[in-house]
Amino acid sequence: MILPLGYALYASFFDYSLGQEANMRFVFLDNYIHFFSDPSALRALLNTVLLTALSLALCLGVGVGIAVLLKEVDRSAANVLRAIFAMPILISPIIVSLIWRYMYDPTYGLVYYFLGFFGLQDFGGLTSSTTALICIVVADVWHTVPFIILVASAGLTVIPEELYEAAHIDGAGAWRMLFSITLPLMAKVLTVLILIRGTDAFRTFDLVYGLTGGGPANATTTLSVYAYKEAFENSRMGFAMAVSVVTLICLIVLFAPFTRNSARDAEA
Amino acid sequence: MRRSRRRSIAIWTVLIAFTFWTVIPIGLVVLNSFKRAKDIFTPTPTLFFTPTLDNYVNAFTKASFGLYYVNSVIVALVSTVIVIVIGTFAAYALTSFRLRSANTIANAFFLGKLVPTISMLLPLFVLINGIGLRGTLIGPIIAHIALNLPFVVWLMMGFLRDVPHELQQAAIIDGCTRMQTFWKVLFPLILPGVAAAFVLSMQYSWNELLFSLQLTNLDTYTLPVGIAGFVGAISVDWGLSSAAATATMVPLIIVGFFVQKHLAAGTTGGAVKG
Repeated sequence: MILPLGYALYASFFDYSLGQEANMRFVFLDNYIHFFSDPSALRALLNTVLLTALSLALCLGVGVGIAVLLKEVDRSAANVLRAIFAMPILISPIIVSLIWRYMYDPTYGLVYYFLGFFGLQDFGGLTSSTTALICIVVADVWHTVPFIILVASAGLTVIPEELYEAAHIDGAGAWRMLFSITLPLMAKVLTVLILIRGTDAFRTFDLVYGLTGGGPANATTTLSVYAYKEAFENSRMGFAMAVSVVTLICLIVLFAPFTRNSARDAEA
Repeated sequence: MRRSRRRSIAIWTVLIAFTFWTVIPIGLVVLNSFKRAKDIFTPTPTLFFTPTLDNYVNAFTKASFGLYYVNSVIVALVSTVIVIVIGTFAAYALTSFRLRSANTIANAFFLGKLVPTISMLLPLFVLINGIGLRGTLIGPIIAHIALNLPFVVWLMMGFLRDVPHELQQAAIIDGCTRMQTFWKVLFPLILPGVAAAFVLSMQYSWNELLFSLQLTNLDTYTLPVGIAGFVGAISVDWGLSSAAATATMVPLIIVGFFVQKHLAAGTTGGAVKG
């Protein structure tokens, strides 16, 4: 693992194409300078951050919400529902993209069928650069909310029931209990979820590759897709390595604070 | 009383809506896989149609999906077995010899899961291409081992740490060797962890696209690569690809039903107990 990463760092200082390792030209930081002056690279960075933020916020909101609601209903019913909700978890992202490409199909897709009832047939879907990223977020949320539900449900079971009873006697409403008891006591679980899901979203490749291939006009290109294209379609290996190193550094900068928190919790 | 009733109606409305949201996309693809083209390409979704197995027959004969299936089974099984064996013993070594740096190592391993696949793919691609293994099944197997191993070690360490150290000491005092202690005392206790690691590693390998896409050739395509081929095409053969997708995902959905309870504990390395 360290070895490939070391190699990536080393190779990112060179300019060479696929299969031409013998003709590597040392360019030192040129690839990185190029990254930060190239509009499509910066667009990919922006897309990745947007996708991660949107998907993470929606996933956590919906996932934790559903998990809290599941606690309110009868236990056996909740178990059945949880099993149904868990269905998308193990499905391959590329199949998720296939499923959602069908859903978004302008002629036969179910999404347009429903939007038709509200007179919204003009919705751009995957082909408009303003809506394509949102469509990808929706598909990603569909795929990953079940995981949040499972983990959040498990996290909820360890909160002692007495706390809610005491709060109820003190006259706290449902919202008050959610924000004063449930969420603070779930802090550790939420940290783990942000860490796992956030980093997953930041690395999204399969879903984008299958749904839009990064288009229209780079509107949905994430850093992973961008690096892939540069490496295997434009044959700029050195630059692609630099993009992947930048991706890794962004990941570490964005998510390192969360690992420190979870490590401290583990020791406590 | 009236209020709580309204409340439970509201809760159930949300839950049922969410059930539809989860099930409909999957159901649609499964239905499509049994439809003829004329039933798929209708402006309003059809629920009633004469089912056909043509799509499956085509997928497995014309589109050589049978071959991809075999490839995927080989890659997933071989890489998972290797990962589990090495991973469990590595985790055992790291926890039971009480290395002071064991925690740091575990955290470093977890970070390994966070490395973007693309950062690993490019160097591994150059490496595997260089030693002439590109286009063989060994390529994706090595890649999947490299990616899964740190995660499995981290996961197993989480489970092994929960086993009281006194149990091991007692076994050693009773005259067990280290290996006997492992098999007779520890292994039964960490079996749920091994099961979770097995399922997670299998599903990663079964679903993984990026490595397999670049490291295989026509004869060694795995299932996701085959499906990506359909999706990438400008006009998608929905019947055929739905059949392929259904055949690929249904086994995992069934497995998911059985293991969903352990998945929460598994993916979070025992940080969250199910």
